[in-house]
Amino acid sequence: MFIRNDEPDPTLQDFRTEVRQFLTEQLPSETQRRQELGQTIGREEYGEWLKRLGSKGWLTGKWPVEHGGLGWSPDQFAVFSEELGRASAPPIQGFGPTMVGPVIYTFGTEKQKAEHLPAIVQHERFWCQGYSEPGAGSDLASLKTRAVREGDHYVVNGQKIWTSYAHWADWCFCLVRTDPDVKKQEGISFLLIDMKTPGITVRPIIGITKSHHLNEVFFEDVRVPAENLIGEENKGWTYAKFLLGNERVGTAETGKFERYLGHLRHLLSETKEDGRPLIEKPEYQRKVAELEVTLDTVKALAADQLAAAREDGSPTLMGAAALKLRSTTFQQEALQTILDVCARHTLLFETDALHPGWNGNTVGPDEMAGLLYEHLYRRAATIYGGSSEVQKNIIAKGALGL
Amino acid sequence: MAAFTSDERQLLHESLVEYFKANYPFERFRELTDRQHPDGSSREAWAEYASLGWLGVALPENAGGSAGGMTELAIVMSAAGGALALEPFLPTLVLGAGAIELAGTAAQQEILGEVNAGERLLAFCHTEPDAGFARGYVKAVATPSGGGYTLTGEKSFALHAHAADTLVVSARLNDDKGPIALFLVPRTAAGIELTPAPTLDERRGAAVRLTEVAVEASACLGESDTDRSGIINEVLDRAALAVCAEAAGAMATAMEQTVEYTKTREQFGQPLSKFQVLQHRMVDMSVAAEGARAATHGALRAYDEGSPGAQRLIWRAKVETARAARFVGGQGIQLHGGMGMTDDLAIGHYYKRLTLCETLYGDADWYLGQLAQSGAA
Repeated sequence: MFIRNDEPDPTLQDFRTEVRQFLTEQLPSETQRRQELGQTIGREEYGEWLKRLGSKGWLTGKWPVEHGGLGWSPDQFAVFSEELGRASAPPIQGFGPTMVGPVIYTFGTEKQKAEHLPAIVQHERFWCQGYSEPGAGSDLASLKTRAVREGDHYVVNGQKIWTSYAHWADWCFCLVRTDPDVKKQEGISFLLIDMKTPGITVRPIIGITKSHHLNEVFFEDVRVPAENLIGEENKGWTYAKFLLGNERVGTAETGKFERYLGHLRHLLSETKEDGRPLIEKPEYQRKVAELEVTLDTVKALAADQLAAAREDGSPTLMGAAALKLRSTTFQQEALQTILDVCARHTLLFETDALHPGWNGNTVGPDEMAGLLYEHLYRRAATIYGGSSEVQKNIIAKGALGL
Repeated sequence: MAAFTSDERQLLHESLVEYFKANYPFERFRELTDRQHPDGSSREAWAEYASLGWLGVALPENAGGSAGGMTELAIVMSAAGGALALEPFLPTLVLGAGAIELAGTAAQQEILGEVNAGERLLAFCHTEPDAGFARGYVKAVATPSGGGYTLTGEKSFALHAHAADTLVVSARLNDDKGPIALFLVPRTAAGIELTPAPTLDERRGAAVRLTEVAVEASACLGESDTDRSGIINEVLDRAALAVCAEAAGAMATAMEQTVEYTKTREQFGQPLSKFQVLQHRMVDMSVAAEGARAATHGALRAYDEGSPGAQRLIWRAKVETARAARFVGGQGIQLHGGMGMTDDLAIGHYYKRLTLCETLYGDADWYLGQLAQSGAA
């Protein structure tokens, strides 16, 4: 308890300044304004932004230098993420830089590294994650998409679901079943699939947010070169778990939610009741104080995980799960409070205002559509990345030994 | 007020539920909420409700109604909520008709006959942009002019104002300190500017700007300079109660769908419904929904009996319902997992409807504030 002594890294403040400077100079103000309003960003504009980050090596700053990274410490990565969130920069899709990239440089062949790593560093490709299936959600290991070896190829048949941005993706990293006769976790392989391969169909899923980023992906006799297998056949679950740890710590998003608390304070001073700003009401002042308490706790839990990553190379099992639990319920509470304020404007949800180029008349605050969008989207925060129920099981079994 | 017997209420409830089950499936909700749909609700359905006598359950007999009370209206609202019906029950039957019935002259009350026949849709334009949930904040002004009035002011979004035949608009007489009067204004009157918008749960309405809208003296409800704050409060309380009933219906359906889903969805080798954590979650949802329904029922009885404590019961029922609606709606999505986040499944739409029910005409915090201020002692 309280033993860890965090020596402040003296270079971190300079790094933070450098990131802020870059954002001031390189983040187009139009892009920033649209992010503030919660408007959707197109593939081109987003790709441009990622390339700018890529040209500094900042998409993959955390990667070891020998794989094209900058060898950032976990603290540097945290500072970078925080500043991006605070500046309303479009968030970086983790599929290439945080997920498949590290899997490739840890378990991949030299050929696979040469083919994919530089393209991730520079953002020359979009990736998507082929994991969940209609029958394999929380029970991901029960996945059924089948890959049968035929000579130099795997022939893939099956269906993935909740595949974010599959409609943009050039490549997909996919968990497939290569052995249906063993214990489920032991028959899974990790396969890289070119999305241009014949037999792949992407079908959009519209969310409760009324937007499209999720998809179903159908594989019908898709022939994937065997050299696209990562590591060993039937060892895919190990590689997948390696990746899940990274995914979970990433979901705290404290920088972004600091910004949302800022939105809340702004809304409270602009929204009136009986002619007086809501911020004058003690119950709202207390609510803001409560949210700040929880945000600080989430930041402290995230800092603990950073320390663990620094010392042991990765977050702790209990820590990552607890962080996901607390940060996601906090996100929902913050957005719920924002919704409560917007209720004075009857929760109008003008989804057209979320398309860039909107110049119609919006009733109520300009930022309401984007904030309600985020509120709806984050109803999934306790579902994606391992549901809260699953996180509790992880803590119960893995940390409390129950 | 002639009350329906229990049997009559049972019959009313059953015929409503049967109707909605046969004629208002989720697919219909999807068609009507398509952004291309001109109205966002069904005129045909409204005509059917009229022919079945449902629009008139709480309208006076001389308007062709059944002279029931809030309880009968609540039976209609709960069935509508259970089916996610989009038609303007709240603005037309509860708010607009309520205001006309309480404040209108005999001549003005003839409108209620048209409401009963499904020929007149109403919207209630009272709340203003800086009012929040407060009920007495009105800056719109009705200036006497040539025997009638001209109305100028800004009204926040009102349900169905985009399509109602008549807007019931509140404005202060003479100047911004005058008594609050209510006016019947044709939606298409000169000087009215509507900004249509959809709500989170895909119902439609509009914000209304009035610029020197000329109306006759006969447009002023009651044709006198009496302050109508009391009546406005009363119809808003009725609306809060009606929304509690709507939420009770929506929660019941959301519960049914959630229980059914967990029985059929299997993970880790068994249906989700076998996991005790999820069983207890659904029990918690069910207990919350029951508490809200019971509180609402108590408030309905008290209101229809004219009990002096009815207002407090309504406010408390709204607090209880708001809490239950938030929990049941949110957990409805959670227990559906990823599927609960899709536009294609009904549960997300129940979540959205329940979110509106929670906050329309005042949220839990606001009513608690009202209860505290009005003297717990």
